[in-house]
Amino acid sequence: MQIGFYFDQTRCTGCSACRVACKDWHDIPAGPENWMRIHYTEKGTFPAVSVSYLIGPCWHCLEPVCVPACPVGAITKREEDGIVVVDPSACLGNEACDEKCRKACPYQAPQFGSQPGARMGKCNYCLDRFQQGKLPNCIEACPVRALDAGPLGKLEELYGTIRETEGFKVSTRTRPAVVFKPKG
Amino acid sequence: MNTADSSPDSDEVRIVRTTSTFDCGGRCPLRLHVKGNRIIRVEGDEGPEPEQLRTCLRCRAYRQMVHHPERLMFPQKRVGAKGEGKFKRISWDEALDLLAGELIRVKEQYGNQGLFLATGGGYLASLHNGGLAASRLLAQFGGYVTHYGNISSEGAVWASLTQYGSVMVGHSREDMLNSRMILLWGWDPARMISGTNTMYHLIKAKENGARIIAVDPRYHDTAATVAQEWIPIRPGTDTAMMIAMANVMIKEGLQDQVFLDKYTVGFDRFKAYVLGKEDGQDKTPAWAAEISGVAAATIERLAREYAATKPAALMDCQGPARSAMGEQYNRCAATLCALTGNVGRPGGSAGGGLMGTPVAHMFRMPAIPPGKNPFEQDGPNVKGTLDIRLRVVKRVHINKIFDAILRGRAGGYPSDIKLMWSMCNNYLNQTGNSNQAARALKTLEFLALNELFLTPQARYADLLLPVTSTAERSDLTRPWPSGPYLTFVNRAIEPLGECKSDLDIVTELATRLGFKDFNPFSEDQWLRMFVEKTPDLAAQIKDFDQFQREGIQRISLPEPIVAFKEQIEDIEKNPFPTPSGKIEIYSQRAADLNNPLCPPIPQYLGTPEDRNDPLYEKYPLQLLTPHPRNRVHSELYKVDWLREVEPHRVWINPVDARPRGVSDGDEVYVFNDRGRVAIPAWLTERIIPGVVSIFEGAWYAPDEQGIDRGGCANTLTKDAYSPGGASVMNTALVEVRKA
Repeated sequence: MQIGFYFDQTRCTGCSACRVACKDWHDIPAGPENWMRIHYTEKGTFPAVSVSYLIGPCWHCLEPVCVPACPVGAITKREEDGIVVVDPSACLGNEACDEKCRKACPYQAPQFGSQPGARMGKCNYCLDRFQQGKLPNCIEACPVRALDAGPLGKLEELYGTIRETEGFKVSTRTRPAVVFKPKG
Repeated sequence: MNTADSSPDSDEVRIVRTTSTFDCGGRCPLRLHVKGNRIIRVEGDEGPEPEQLRTCLRCRAYRQMVHHPERLMFPQKRVGAKGEGKFKRISWDEALDLLAGELIRVKEQYGNQGLFLATGGGYLASLHNGGLAASRLLAQFGGYVTHYGNISSEGAVWASLTQYGSVMVGHSREDMLNSRMILLWGWDPARMISGTNTMYHLIKAKENGARIIAVDPRYHDTAATVAQEWIPIRPGTDTAMMIAMANVMIKEGLQDQVFLDKYTVGFDRFKAYVLGKEDGQDKTPAWAAEISGVAAATIERLAREYAATKPAALMDCQGPARSAMGEQYNRCAATLCALTGNVGRPGGSAGGGLMGTPVAHMFRMPAIPPGKNPFEQDGPNVKGTLDIRLRVVKRVHINKIFDAILRGRAGGYPSDIKLMWSMCNNYLNQTGNSNQAARALKTLEFLALNELFLTPQARYADLLLPVTSTAERSDLTRPWPSGPYLTFVNRAIEPLGECKSDLDIVTELATRLGFKDFNPFSEDQWLRMFVEKTPDLAAQIKDFDQFQREGIQRISLPEPIVAFKEQIEDIEKNPFPTPSGKIEIYSQRAADLNNPLCPPIPQYLGTPEDRNDPLYEKYPLQLLTPHPRNRVHSELYKVDWLREVEPHRVWINPVDARPRGVSDGDEVYVFNDRGRVAIPAWLTERIIPGVVSIFEGAWYAPDEQGIDRGGCANTLTKDAYSPGGASVMNTALVEVRKA
């Protein structure tokens, strides 16, 4: 089984409730380590302007390039559900390995705090919640229900198989586990 | 509460079902995870979808506010100069003796009129609210002077009372799904919430096929999400455009004349004005185009489309009404709703900007009775009056508090203010002209403040009293005018540090002022009493303990609420609560005011600091000060998780930035004769040229040169109110220069 995300870009207002809910659940201080990011796109000139937002968690790729990039094998993809997880106790820290995982990832999913030696953290699909049968916190936090999560096959059945949207280019190399309802 | 062991020392994680009480536009059930005396996580409502009441980012960061390291934890008194922000820790006994002593001294020296009580909306709940307990105490103490009105909605209130005789002008948000067309006219619920789940319902209305058009100086996030069309408009000119739409409808015979004849009075007077029969100015789309910057053809097209599409909801709000002639905007919106026959109809709207629905409305929330204020007893009867002049005989308009402190009776205010006791507000930051406010606070003989943080206003205090957050007390609260549901606030943690609730502070002060048994009830007794004695609560809450345990009582309605549905179904049996019993497009009560700036029919009126003001040459940009999404006005300003979501910047169109040599991210000064703020520029195509926008609520932080480094929008706004009482926060001219 492979878990994945669904993102309805036509609904997202960029409010960042998902981002704050992520920081709260995982107790991550304000700063550069953001397991959930919000990307902003503005196009056109006044008054013909278009705006879109895009969530940025870890897409738990089918071929996660962060895994082989890690010099100590601290990142693994779980066989049973495809969740990509990091073992922070094995991670060498941002200085010792120069953030190889972050540089390998086309989506900046691996994140580091600002302190020297900070170890990698990333979206783990709220593994603790997942194991209790709950959805990731970002999904339940979305005030406009723009997000969903679950087995990728199920998401494709429900929402289709569109893999690109404004601000997001699908990597055929890593194969991110996400389907979209694109804007525009 | 919810689990067996709720002692603060426990290691067990308890789930506390509660809500916050911010002045935020929503009211969302929260499940706080509490360990020991600390909130460690926040989860939201777990009610069934699709009606789960989902909280916004602000309460997602609630615990960072409650446990913020800068929370005031003990009483302090001033040791530096006023405004310097230097304080010394003192005991509660010393603090309360000091406040009691100053209250007695000022009363003896100047009389009760020397005492000013500044209450506010920082938390909105039954027991722990903006200062009703303090009002009650000072009334018993012989009286006090206080303020009239609110910053948010007075223009909309005046307009709704004039037009309909009622402030309950809203529909259930679900009713938007019945609309074929929705006009977002100055309304941005993605940011200002307008009731939990409102944005969600608006999105569903769009997905249901409604045509959605935004008329706004900014392409805000709501427009970016749901609108098929954005019509940019200059601030303060909405009424001109609406009048020109009426002009098109009337000339082309598109108005719903049957509706107008049956349900309204005064359409002919309005028609005469619109067609220029009175003043010789035909209010054509070309006339409005010149004023508003919206092309005449666009105005014509929108008028025809709005008149032809039924039902259609014109959703005006309160932001454009926070302007120099703000009430005219809401009145004109309501008048268009009547012209198109959309009032009282599912999928339509009444306009008026308040959006309130009568079931479980926050205005009907029980509260501590403040009692009659002796100072106001010989004042005019203000009940139901539309005459703002009467309301400021014994009170001070909220946007004039600091001018009243500076000028007193000589300036036409009710008294000379010597002592201010303030709670639940940060008016220096949140009313017009912050620099003047700072000057005023330095002139007070004594300023006592109940506060959670060392806010810009608190820096000027002589005495600081630390107050509990909502998480540290139990209460009843209500949703913003939406819902319907009722909410219970459960105390999640014991008071932090030496914090006390305002009610406890007032109670202990009462003893020192010689009032025995001022507050004979415990928190629990108060809340049970409120539930028993408030009709809608008593009807809904059958089991107090269950209500407390669950934190919410949902109310199901057979169909969405539609304002004035009863009136439209049977006007003979159910007249409108106006003197004529009908919708008053012409209001005799307004005519009786004899104020050409507060006319009996809605009109477009020029104002100081619009584009025709000679000041426009010196300050050629109009300033907007919308609600921020990542704080509640100035509350939550210190919360890092929220700050990092969106940097505080001034929106400026590249067309205005380029000739000033301003690039994206540059530090700029935004300034006028009232003040100067330093703030980074955000170059965006999402704002109409000639207008800049700074979200209100960032904290005022003047440096030695008087430059506000905090970027407080009100450093630039005016301490003025409209003829209908609206605080003028969106009528200000400024210039921008690279810092």
